[in-house]
Amino acid sequence: MPEPTSELSSREVEHVARLARLGITPDEVLKYRDQLRNILHHIEALNRADTSKVPATAHPLEERNVMREDRREPCLPADAALRNAPSREDSYFKVKAIQE
Amino acid sequence: MKLFHRTIRDLHQMLRDREISSVELTQSVLDQIQAVGDRTKAYLLVTKELALRQAHAADERLRSKRDVRPLTGIPIALKDVLCVKEVASTAGSKILKGFTPPYSATVVERLEAEGAVFLGKTNCDEFAMGSSNENSGYWPVHNPWGLDRVPGGSSGGSAAAVASGEAIAALGSDTGGSIRQPAALTGIVGLKPTYGRVSRYGLIAFASSLDQIGPMTRDVVDSALLLQAIAGHDPRDSTSSPKPVPDYLATLGDGVKGMRLGVPKEYFVAGMEPAVEQSIRDAIRLLEQQGASIEEVSLPHSDVALPAYYIIAPAEASSNLARYDGVRYGYQAEGARNLIEEYMLTRQQGFGAEVKRRIMLGTYALSSGYYDAYYLQAQKVRTLIIDDFKRAFTKVDALLGATSPTVAFPLGAKTQDPVAMYLNDIITIPANLGNVCAISVPCGLADGLPVGLQVIAPGFREDLALRIAFAFEAATEFHKAQSPLMGAAA
Repeated sequence: MPEPTSELSSREVEHVARLARLGITPDEVLKYRDQLRNILHHIEALNRADTSKVPATAHPLEERNVMREDRREPCLPADAALRNAPSREDSYFKVKAIQE
Repeated sequence: MKLFHRTIRDLHQMLRDREISSVELTQSVLDQIQAVGDRTKAYLLVTKELALRQAHAADERLRSKRDVRPLTGIPIALKDVLCVKEVASTAGSKILKGFTPPYSATVVERLEAEGAVFLGKTNCDEFAMGSSNENSGYWPVHNPWGLDRVPGGSSGGSAAAVASGEAIAALGSDTGGSIRQPAALTGIVGLKPTYGRVSRYGLIAFASSLDQIGPMTRDVVDSALLLQAIAGHDPRDSTSSPKPVPDYLATLGDGVKGMRLGVPKEYFVAGMEPAVEQSIRDAIRLLEQQGASIEEVSLPHSDVALPAYYIIAPAEASSNLARYDGVRYGYQAEGARNLIEEYMLTRQQGFGAEVKRRIMLGTYALSSGYYDAYYLQAQKVRTLIIDDFKRAFTKVDALLGATSPTVAFPLGAKTQDPVAMYLNDIITIPANLGNVCAISVPCGLADGLPVGLQVIAPGFREDLALRIAFAFEAATEFHKAQSPLMGAAA
C-alpha cells in the first residue's frame, strides 16, 4: 500500500480526469494539480488518528436489507423517462457510436 | 407589519380565522420577491402561476374547513436540489439546465398534501457543493444582512429567501452543514435532521450516506411544524427510518431545567472570530440561567472530521455524478465524434470548477493504490467520530457550540482558496459524519451580522434539539431581528 503523497503529478491528474470522464485542458491540469495537492496535504491529517483497531463505517445506519414483496408495481412510463433525453429514437436513448 | 414578515404559526391562525386568504399572503410574498429579488438573487425560478393556483386551492380547503393542516396555504421555497414534477430542477448546475423531473420528491409530495404553496426553486451551490453559494452554476446569492456578503451555502438561496421575506419558510439540504451554516449567516433557524429521519427520494444526490433534507425557518416553532410535515418513513427510500415520528410541538415548551448540556472544547476552533465566540459563550450562560447544567466535554477526533469528510463526500459524489453523461437528461455537448468524447465534453462544459475538483478528488481517493490510505482510513475515522458522540451522550443530553466560526464573509473573499472555504464547515461536519441531529438558532449579531448557536442532540432526538433551541429562543429576542432588506418594507 503506497503512502499517501501530496506530490500529485500532472500525469495523475490527467489519469484521474480520464477515469472520471472529465475533459480537461492543459492549463486546468496544472491548476487542479496544485489545488488538489494543497487539499490532499490537509487531508493527510487523517493519519493522526489511530485506526488500527477501528472498523470502518460504510453507512450510518445499522446494516440491514430492506426487502419488499416480489410483485409488479407501477413505475415511470417509458415516455416520461425519455422526455428529457437530448436524443432518442422510438423508446430508446440514442447515443453516438461506441467504436469509431 | 406585512404578511411576509410573519411566521407559519401566526399565519396559520390568521388563515384559519379567515382574517386573510392564502392568495393575499402569497401575493404579499411574491411582491417582496419582485421588490428585492434582484438584490438577493435567492431564486433560480419563481413559480408564480403554480403558487397562485395552489393558494386558490388552499383557500378552498380553508373555506370548507376540509383537512386544514399547519402548512395549508403557507408559501414555501424549495432548494433547487429537490425535484418537483414538471418544474425545472437544476441543482444549481448548468448540466441540468432545462431538466424537468418526471416525478416529485417525497418531501414535495408531503408538502403538497399539506396544502402548502410553492414559490419556486432557490439558488444553491452546484450540486450542494459549497459554503458560500458562489459555486452556483448561475449566479451568486447576496446576504440580506449585507449585500456584499455571502449568505453561506450550499442552501444560500433558501436562507436568503427566508431572511429577506421572499419566503415564509424553505427547505434546504445538509451534507456537511449546508442548512445550518447559511441559517447562521442569515439569522434564521436551520435544522439538520438525523440521517434517515426524512426521505431522500427525489433529492438530487450529492453524498448519499450524509445528505438530509431539513427546514429553514424564522423561528423554532416553525422549524418543528415543517419537520413534522416532512419526517417519517418512505418505502421509496430504503434508508429512511421506520421509527415513529414524535409530536415535536408537544415537548417544545418543556424547557431545559435539569438538563445536562455539554460544551465540546474542540468546537472553539482556532480562527474563530472573537465576537462569535463571545456570542456563543453568552448563549451558553443564558441556557445555564434557564436551569441547565453546563459542563465541558471532549470530542477528541473533531480535528480529523473535516479531512474525513473531504474524502467521503467527494468519493460518494464522484460516483453519484457519474450519471450526468449527456445521454438521458440534461446538457449534451455538441461536436463529439464518439460516445466517450461526448461524455468528456459534456462533463467538461456542464460542470463548474468546484464540482470537477470534488469529482477528481473523490475518484483519486477511490482509485487503485489509494483506496486504503484515503477512503478506508476516512471510513474508520467516521467510526471514531460516531464513538465520540456516543461517549459524550452518556454524560450529557445535548451539545452546544457555534454553527460557523465566522459571520458572513465578503463575496469573493475565499473563492481562490478551496481549503479556506472548506474550513467554514469545521463545526458542522461532525454532526453529519456522526449521524446525530443539529439545529442552528440565532444568538445575536456581531458587527451587525448574525451569529448562530448550534445545538446537537443524539440521533432521532430532534425533539430534544428543538426543545433546547426553543428554550433559548423564548428567553431572547435575537430571532426577531430582521435583515435590512426585510425590515425596510415594514
